[in-house]
Amino acid sequence: MDEIQIIFILVYVLTILLSATKIVQMSVAALIGALLTAWFGLLYGVFGYEQSLGFIDVQLIMLLLGVMIVVEVAERSGLFRFGALYAVKISGGNPKILFVSICVISAAVSVFLSDPTAMLLIAAAMATITKLLRYDPIPYFISAMIMINLGGTSTLIGSVSNMIIGLQAGISFTAFIGYLGVCEIILWGLTIAALYFLFRKRLGTKKELPKYNPWESVENKKLFYRSILILFLLIILFLTLENLGVGAEAVALGCAILALAISGSDPTDIFKKLDWETIFFIAGFMFIVGGLEKTGLLADISTQLFQTVGQGEFGASMTTLWFSGLASSTVSNIAIALTFSPIISGSAGIGTPAVWSALVLGTNLGGATTPLSGAVTMMGVGALKREGISLSFAEFTKVGVITSLIQLGFASFYLIIRFNLGV
Amino acid sequence: MVKKWIEPRDIKSESDYEEEKRKFGMALGKPFITLILEIPTGFEEYNNEFINLEKDVDFHEEVNDLIKKRLLLESRRKKNL
Repeated sequence: MDEIQIIFILVYVLTILLSATKIVQMSVAALIGALLTAWFGLLYGVFGYEQSLGFIDVQLIMLLLGVMIVVEVAERSGLFRFGALYAVKISGGNPKILFVSICVISAAVSVFLSDPTAMLLIAAAMATITKLLRYDPIPYFISAMIMINLGGTSTLIGSVSNMIIGLQAGISFTAFIGYLGVCEIILWGLTIAALYFLFRKRLGTKKELPKYNPWESVENKKLFYRSILILFLLIILFLTLENLGVGAEAVALGCAILALAISGSDPTDIFKKLDWETIFFIAGFMFIVGGLEKTGLLADISTQLFQTVGQGEFGASMTTLWFSGLASSTVSNIAIALTFSPIISGSAGIGTPAVWSALVLGTNLGGATTPLSGAVTMMGVGALKREGISLSFAEFTKVGVITSLIQLGFASFYLIIRFNLGV
Repeated sequence: MVKKWIEPRDIKSESDYEEEKRKFGMALGKPFITLILEIPTGFEEYNNEFINLEKDVDFHEEVNDLIKKRLLLESRRKKNL
């Protein structure tokens, strides 16, 4: 390892530490790292200015912006709130059914919404309903956090890390579902069963629900139906993408323009609500990883890593799954996806569907192991604190570690069966 | 330092969270209101005592009783009209 590579590693580690410890905001940490990468890269002649402009994947930023706008419009229509209210209503006040329906709606909402937005919505629902029925909120909150994290794994647009990996690997929306759809369905069931087993004694007794009509929460029915239509269109277009001859980002942006046109809201309000923190973090981090790539370090790691574990798909998949799973329990899963993607694609014979699927599962599943693992857990614990309820680090981690191990364990088994990985 | 990292952080976008809760409360037939109260003039030396009222359960009950009285009065007034 030469002097330049050491400097770039230090910049990378500094960025991770700054963002993990929240000394500065995640986006600022990545932008500081990008600035240092640019400075040292140009100073040592690692890359030229023109070359460095290509480090940021514009397709990914466009895809993110497009999906964020469509979902923001759908959120304003009250569609997801309606879903949450409906999930509560069908429980009929039975805590067991309420628990399962909350788990399912948390994961389902997070298929579309970003994790922090899904958490905000579900936390508000949990706080209201558990106070109303006088239930212990902790089992419901912890389960919602874990299910929101899991829900994001389900589709190509379910989480930012999925979009990063999908674009880098060239995995289409349909291929993604084909590789991981069955795994997701089973993971949802297994996780709900594990959470139910852990919390069954704390769910409370049957109470009478107030009579309410979820439709009354929908302020603008026209926008509500239009939002469903656009989300439906987005999914249909993603499913038929291969026949359209355009990229996922074009479909997302096209639907975003349509959503803006029909929403009737001030676009400035919609733009303000987009998750700029994540977008700037990704842009900054892509630059840092781009710089690292130019030093040849990622290619070296790639060669070393996969020489150590062997060239076999089994070793590569399991290493990727467990390493990215454990790493994303402490570091942002976006950072893990951005770092691992060039390592996998740069390694001849390793970038197979099995290894890419392992990366998708690993980066997502580790995200709810501790209260500090990701934005969703931090926000959930913060919401509980705001309600005057203290959830200790140990209490969450005990459940988080069990569910993460179950999920990663099943994911290993699934990958072996699905991709016929010979041990 | 480490302790600071593992402490729960406040939820982001507190106003969005409260607004979302208000919408759920309305939908479930349990509306709530948020009042912003300032310390009365002349009581500035009781700053801390005033701030502690926010989490004082007895104070919350007193306010609740006051709301009940007020709503009962309103209902009687409507009946008399």
